Amino acid sequence: MSRTANQTWWRIAWRNLWRNRRRTILTASALSFGFVASVLMIGYMDGIVEELVSNGTRVVTGQVQIQAEDYQPERSIHKTMGGREGLDVDALLAAVEAQDGVTGAAPRLYGGGLVSSGDETVGAVLMGIDAAREATVSRFASGLVAGRMPGPGEIALGEAMAETVEAGVGDEVVLVAPAADGSTGNDLFAVSGIFSVGVGAYDDSYALLEMGSLAELMAMDPGRIHEVAVAVARIREPEVPAAEIREAVAAVAPGLRTEPWSGFLDQLYFMVNYVDAVNFVVAILIFGMASFGVANAMLIATYERRREFAVARSLGTSGGGIGRIVIYEGLLLGLVSLAAGAALAAPLMFYIHNNPIDLSRFVGTYSFVGSAVRPMLTVEYSVWGPFVSAVALVGTGVVSALLPAWRAVRIPPADVLANR
Amino acid sequence: MQENSTAGNGTNGAGQPAVHTEGLWKIYPQEPRPVEAVRGVDIEVSAGEFVAMAGPSGSGKTTVLNLLGGLTRPSRGRVWIAGREISELPDKELAKVRLSRIGFVFQSYNLLPVLTAAENAEFTMLLQGLPARERRERVRRLFAEIGLEGLEDRMPPKLSGGQQQRVAVARAVLAEPALVLADEPTANLDSTMAEALLDVMEKLNREKGTTFVFSTHDPRVMERAGRLIRLVDGRVEG
Repeated sequence: MSRTANQTWWRIAWRNLWRNRRRTILTASALSFGFVASVLMIGYMDGIVEELVSNGTRVVTGQVQIQAEDYQPERSIHKTMGGREGLDVDALLAAVEAQDGVTGAAPRLYGGGLVSSGDETVGAVLMGIDAAREATVSRFASGLVAGRMPGPGEIALGEAMAETVEAGVGDEVVLVAPAADGSTGNDLFAVSGIFSVGVGAYDDSYALLEMGSLAELMAMDPGRIHEVAVAVARIREPEVPAAEIREAVAAVAPGLRTEPWSGFLDQLYFMVNYVDAVNFVVAILIFGMASFGVANAMLIATYERRREFAVARSLGTSGGGIGRIVIYEGLLLGLVSLAAGAALAAPLMFYIHNNPIDLSRFVGTYSFVGSAVRPMLTVEYSVWGPFVSAVALVGTGVVSALLPAWRAVRIPPADVLANR
Repeated sequence: MQENSTAGNGTNGAGQPAVHTEGLWKIYPQEPRPVEAVRGVDIEVSAGEFVAMAGPSGSGKTTVLNLLGGLTRPSRGRVWIAGREISELPDKELAKVRLSRIGFVFQSYNLLPVLTAAENAEFTMLLQGLPARERRERVRRLFAEIGLEGLEDRMPPKLSGGQQQRVAVARAVLAEPALVLADEPTANLDSTMAEALLDVMEKLNREKGTTFVFSTHDPRVMERAGRLIRLVDGRVEG
């Protein structure tokens, strides 16, 4: 087939598209709205996933965690990084923070104990922190509803826990915790703050202490920590920075395990992949339905032009040439619809992204796979959603043209010209 | 005008007739009885002939032209175009034969409505991949000759019937095929326009040596033919 012939097929396809403007506009509108629906739907689902991942990893865990190789799954207080001698925490943090995309790193020491005030006692996860660093990784500091983060001899309680033990800022609570040397540590701590991060598991049972205070209570030497939680810029794709961090950590402190959230929050990771798969299915469903309408419109259009196809065949046009005209028409219809759909979807996305619709009057904040989800109808910007929708839309135009093209190719010229 | 019931005696430059058929039948399956549109037609047309096929409506003229052009396949019998048998050729090969050797003029013009007059005239040359300059030059010259100058950019619905038929003739002959098959080319034209169109076809036949086979039942057109083949009830008469 010559280049000029191909140009002619494009020209004929384009002009055919506009012969019946009303039909083309209606068909293109269906595809355009399908595109808008697909983009917004995927954007909305991405928004939920973004929120899930953000809340799931920004509230407490961070996106990458570094721990002793054997710390998980028992989380024994003895399994500190660097063994019983501990390690040079500052050197480790410096190595981590030197990596591209790392926005924060916070050391942590964990223990378990009982928090008592008056007659009330509640079991608690005790978390030793460096308050300044912790603020770069978790939402404890931003989630303070009263007071401030703990200093030496102080404790910050989750809001639900504080209610349970009926303690407020300035009150004293008794902390009892098993220590590393086999003894039981106990001491009085002043409540410096009360936090609410929106996830029941943390607000009910987490208590924050200054790192040195918890180490002292648990009879642990300075330099012994259980974890470094790391925050990275691209929270949805932590594998790449995790690999770089792993390499950097191995150079300063061998024997540690560095894992992205996709490893330690496996339910959340499953959920994210599940939503991605659902997005794909949604796009297929939307455009699958649209394809029937488009194919029907194109079949009618092709039938109306049987005589023209017969003439073209008589003049020496190959079956492939006839098929191309119809398929090019489907492709052009897809591109026109895409342009219209994009023109509609872009401002809508921009508006909803910047003005999320608050659904809290219908449903309150809820926790899902360990992550707090706000009932906000919002859409997340992404390249993937519009890309998938665009490919699906243009693909729908082409696929919908296949049957009409096949029929056009099989037109018997003499019979059609004789109106048989 | 010579009247001949079966075969002509001329050949093309390579010693082959432009058109040759043997025992050509076309039967359309139809209830209650199959229709025998063409019944054992033997024709030979030499290269450069200007041949008319005459006969009443339903005599099989259009079907014979369709069989000669490979637009439909014979139920029985064989067709040769310039010595090449086309009856059994696959669709793709048939399309190539039509593109390279045959021009068609249809009774009802059948211009492609989304192409301008010039683009319609260029259509076969476009398929052949002729350079744009050559295509335009050929269109310009022929349009000037057949009174279509200035109408190049008109869409078919904006042309009169006569103008459309002249564009259709231009489309058929501009790619310089060896054979032009025309199905009642003057049927929708007034007598002046019909004469003018025949002048154009005759000129092309005379100057380019293009072989013309056309169907007609117009006596004035038959008068202009170099040879007349009469069809009655799907058979060559005489």
